[in-house]
Amino acid sequence: MDRNFFSNLKCRECGKLYAKKAIHVCDFDFGPLEAVYDYAAIRGVLTRQLIESRPQSMWRYRELLPIDGAPTVGTQVGFTPLVKADRLAKALGLRELYVKNDTVNYPTLSFKDRVVSVALSRALELGFEVVACASTGNLANSVAANAASAGLKSYVLIPADLEQGKVLGSLVYGANVIAIHGAYDQVNRLCSEIAGKYGWGFVNVNLRPYYAEGSKTMGFEIAEQLGWRLPRHTIIPMASGSLLTKIHKAYKEFIDLGLVDKAPFSVHGAQATGCAPITHALKRGTDMVKPVAKPQTIAKSLAIGTPADGYYAIHSMNQTGGTAEDCTDEEIVEGIRLLAECEGIFAETAGGVTVACAKKLVAAGHIPADESAVLCITGNGLKTQEAMLNQCGAPRTINPSLREFEDRIYQPDQSAVAH
Amino acid sequence: MAEENTRLWLMFPARLITRPIVWELAMKFPVVTNVRQASVNEEVGLVSLSLTGERDAIKASIAWLEELGVKVEPVEINTIEG
Repeated sequence: MDRNFFSNLKCRECGKLYAKKAIHVCDFDFGPLEAVYDYAAIRGVLTRQLIESRPQSMWRYRELLPIDGAPTVGTQVGFTPLVKADRLAKALGLRELYVKNDTVNYPTLSFKDRVVSVALSRALELGFEVVACASTGNLANSVAANAASAGLKSYVLIPADLEQGKVLGSLVYGANVIAIHGAYDQVNRLCSEIAGKYGWGFVNVNLRPYYAEGSKTMGFEIAEQLGWRLPRHTIIPMASGSLLTKIHKAYKEFIDLGLVDKAPFSVHGAQATGCAPITHALKRGTDMVKPVAKPQTIAKSLAIGTPADGYYAIHSMNQTGGTAEDCTDEEIVEGIRLLAECEGIFAETAGGVTVACAKKLVAAGHIPADESAVLCITGNGLKTQEAMLNQCGAPRTINPSLREFEDRIYQPDQSAVAH
Repeated sequence: MAEENTRLWLMFPARLITRPIVWELAMKFPVVTNVRQASVNEEVGLVSLSLTGERDAIKASIAWLEELGVKVEPVEINTIEG
């Protein structure tokens, strides 16, 4: 890329501008900082043809991502399939439905590879040699893998009671995995202290303005893969609420740059009932999110009781005429099975949340049957298999005998048996 | 002992919203409190607060707030993701 269009960081509360450093909150009001760009300059350069001429990765939209030079980490991330989901559409009562399938995102099978590749590309530009994160799952795996491939040293902080299977997905890449004893709040504050004290690039702390922008690429890809148009409805799982706000931003940027026609679109949020602070605030008609002290849900990747971007997510939904839903653990399991059985896609629990909430939104009339919709499926089911244990039946066992096979398993229509 | 500065978000449950907790904190512990942003409704109160003082005083302040039932988060609110 010859020119640099990423101009500043800006406080989302007061609008104060900051230099493009490893900082993430405003000195004045502690508001979050966000990347801003020289859109007038981008408008003269970025065209559909230019984007289409580039390799199929999330970096084909690099003018709208917050790095100065060419990407260096995760250059093959993104451009996951947008699947036309006709069988699921029928099951949900919709005419035109698509699944944005980040269960096959490269390299660690979740949308987190998008945000991490931006954060680590920027970390290298800023001169960091050590990168870190605090995570209970997908983010940890992605930081560990992408740091390994970039030759960066990585630290992954986890609560000490995390399941072994999730720890392995970070250890295998040679990351320094540090398990911390204590209640969630104490672990959370320690991570903040560590991030503030050492000269590390903490992807979801001091690199957060860069990290968060990576989520926009999911929205860019949806619009391009739909033939350069926006879906009328997009259903997005919410943990911190960041992904929803960034897909909203992505759609607005494409409209402002003339890459898609201006048309009404709605972003809808999906949460698990056991941790639904954003949904509950929206339904109460307020933008002040009441924390959930003890999240109780199998959708652990969404179990953030104090969502940092909840306020902004509510505004995105309100501005676009969107709404939010929540679903029980049983409905999550049913959602995972429905997606798997209809489309052959095995999603993690967050995917079950998205499908289950979409079903409710359609039933309630928030998504009319004749309008297009996209479900954002953000992670692979192989990572949360424990949620589906004993939920899918068991294989039927027989001896190696054709008679037993026919007696117990399958009775063929005699006229159809070949001789 | 050197002075430190900590940036926090305090989240008050409804029963504590009318209590002058930031004033009580400054009277009880040798810390400087500096409110940067605040909003309140009938269900929850949110205050962004800068605390300056010796490390032990800051830790004792946080422990007292939590004992009262105030949720104390770092400035990032949440550093641990899925």
